Amino acid sequence: MESVIALKSPTACTSLSPSAAIWQDVLAQAMTGELIAAMNYTSLAEICDDPEEVADALEHADGERWHAAAFAAEGRKMGLDVPNNVNGKHWKKLREAFLRCIEDRDFIACLIVQEIMLESFAVASYARVGKVGPGSLGKTFAAIAAEEEEHVDHALSILRTERALDAQRFDDKVYRLHLDVMTTLAKMLAKECKDGHCEVCHGSCVKPSLFDVSLSAAELRGASLQQYLKTLDMLGLPGEVTLAWVTQLPV
Amino acid sequence: MGHSAAGIAVSGLPATVDFALIGHQESWRAAADVLAVLRGPEHTPLPDDEIKDILPWIPPRAVCHVRVGSISSGVSDAKAHGLYIDSFIPPDRLGAAYTHENIARVRGAAAYAIKAGARIVSLGGFSSILIEGNFDQLPERQDTAFTTGNTLTVGFIVQGIKKMCRLAGRDIRRSTLLIVGATGDVGSGCARCLSPLVKRMLLSARNVERLRALASELETNGVQVELATGLQQFSQEADVVICAASLASPSLLLGRITPDAIVCDAGYPKNLSPNAQMPGVKIFFGGLGQITGGLTFAPDFHGILNRHPFPNVVHGCLLEGMALALEGRFEPFSHGRGHITPERVEEIESIAARHGIYLAPLYNADGPLEDRLDRQMESPRA
Repeated sequence: MESVIALKSPTACTSLSPSAAIWQDVLAQAMTGELIAAMNYTSLAEICDDPEEVADALEHADGERWHAAAFAAEGRKMGLDVPNNVNGKHWKKLREAFLRCIEDRDFIACLIVQEIMLESFAVASYARVGKVGPGSLGKTFAAIAAEEEEHVDHALSILRTERALDAQRFDDKVYRLHLDVMTTLAKMLAKECKDGHCEVCHGSCVKPSLFDVSLSAAELRGASLQQYLKTLDMLGLPGEVTLAWVTQLPV
Repeated sequence: MGHSAAGIAVSGLPATVDFALIGHQESWRAAADVLAVLRGPEHTPLPDDEIKDILPWIPPRAVCHVRVGSISSGVSDAKAHGLYIDSFIPPDRLGAAYTHENIARVRGAAAYAIKAGARIVSLGGFSSILIEGNFDQLPERQDTAFTTGNTLTVGFIVQGIKKMCRLAGRDIRRSTLLIVGATGDVGSGCARCLSPLVKRMLLSARNVERLRALASELETNGVQVELATGLQQFSQEADVVICAASLASPSLLLGRITPDAIVCDAGYPKNLSPNAQMPGVKIFFGGLGQITGGLTFAPDFHGILNRHPFPNVVHGCLLEGMALALEGRFEPFSHGRGHITPERVEEIESIAARHGIYLAPLYNADGPLEDRLDRQMESPRA
């Protein structure tokens, strides 16, 4: 898989503060997610016919790369090298799911995966981190959460128009993508990594340590799923149906 | 309109939403059962710790479709279609510390009902207590009416008290009635309906001014009224009790009642503490009605959303919205606090009865009561 930003190989934080190692992993996950998003938008540009859409997708890709760089910079301020691994187990699966939509040249499916599913996760979890992150790190997470939310608004209007054409067909598509993408995201967000190391955290899984920085895996999962449900509500999907989808996800 | 995504077949459902019922789960067990139905039989039930982690994050939303039938032959389409909307208030967060959060949840559920196009919405359980009948706290609405449902709840509580007295061979006219939570909407409604029938009333609530105002209103009926903010302060023992307090959990311990008192627990959540040792006291769960014209849920939540030992039993507050929908009266029948009168109770009881909604068979935590009471009356020494 392509490399997007070349960085030094990760070094475990030996540390400036007891929480630095935790922030290193949090930043690594966020940075990897942003790089995946950048790759996704670049791929999306390749299937767009309308030059304006191409430009939009490339602009989004640039924005996501800038976010990744901002997270790397926050790490440097703390004296940390922030690693990334777009081939990490879960992130690779998410990227592959997106690439299947690209193969099908399904622009709408691409938007659903990136803007509805992955961005719900990003907006909600960044906002939580933004509340507890120290100094500029917290501010950066909060600011990027706000920017990502703007993307979602733009995508929502396109997707609502699409749903208006054939709600049944649209909802079936969302469900198919939900099974693929949200199942992987739910495993990432589970309180424990039951399938082994995620290949992004630099040492053992960061989740049990999140309490030390006033976060928890359960909170990040809850906030992400809440954001996802609210976003699906905004699209007009029936709440009782999306509730069942979410309750059926792995824990 | 139908929907097939996720394999949840709710086909054949009408596009119109006549009514919406806003509720929440009373216990983690009940919440677990709801989530288990949503997960479906092919998935293992969620562990308790996961349920406690996930549920508080679920935004208010519809859980299922509800269809209620009427027995009325004069109504052309004797059915109403609605939604059960859960506010997902965590069962252990009903206390005062969570009031603002819970009001936001009820507002969220109300907004969902409005967006779904519900013509009338019943505020079940703690929802109406949180809003306190002040519908200005709800989102702006154009074609959606809200009702607390408290008038029909009062009707069924009063009917239950009368029935229990009859079954126990008690003359209600000689009774001393204690109402716990007397100044609340339900408590004061019960007081107005029963004051002409009983000998003496003991009214208990936290707000002395409201108690005094209610007492002076009731005394015009010729009933003796005693007030207290604490249950141990009354000079008399009560032999009939209505518990209608707004408690976050079953925690009430009754004092100064006769050993064979009739006690109606009308709270949601229940008022009486499970630790209350009252061996001779006849307790029943009040405010419940039964639909005889048919009740269906899609997906099937029978016995999950209505956890009662008899079929099609539902809380009066929710039944009020269904009855009004069947009647085609989309109006805020119960609103505010302290407006429930015997005349309004009679009116909603007539509407409910016209559509086959009656007082539910009486029961308590040990199961159905009426046969047990009949047997006791036949052999009083047993």
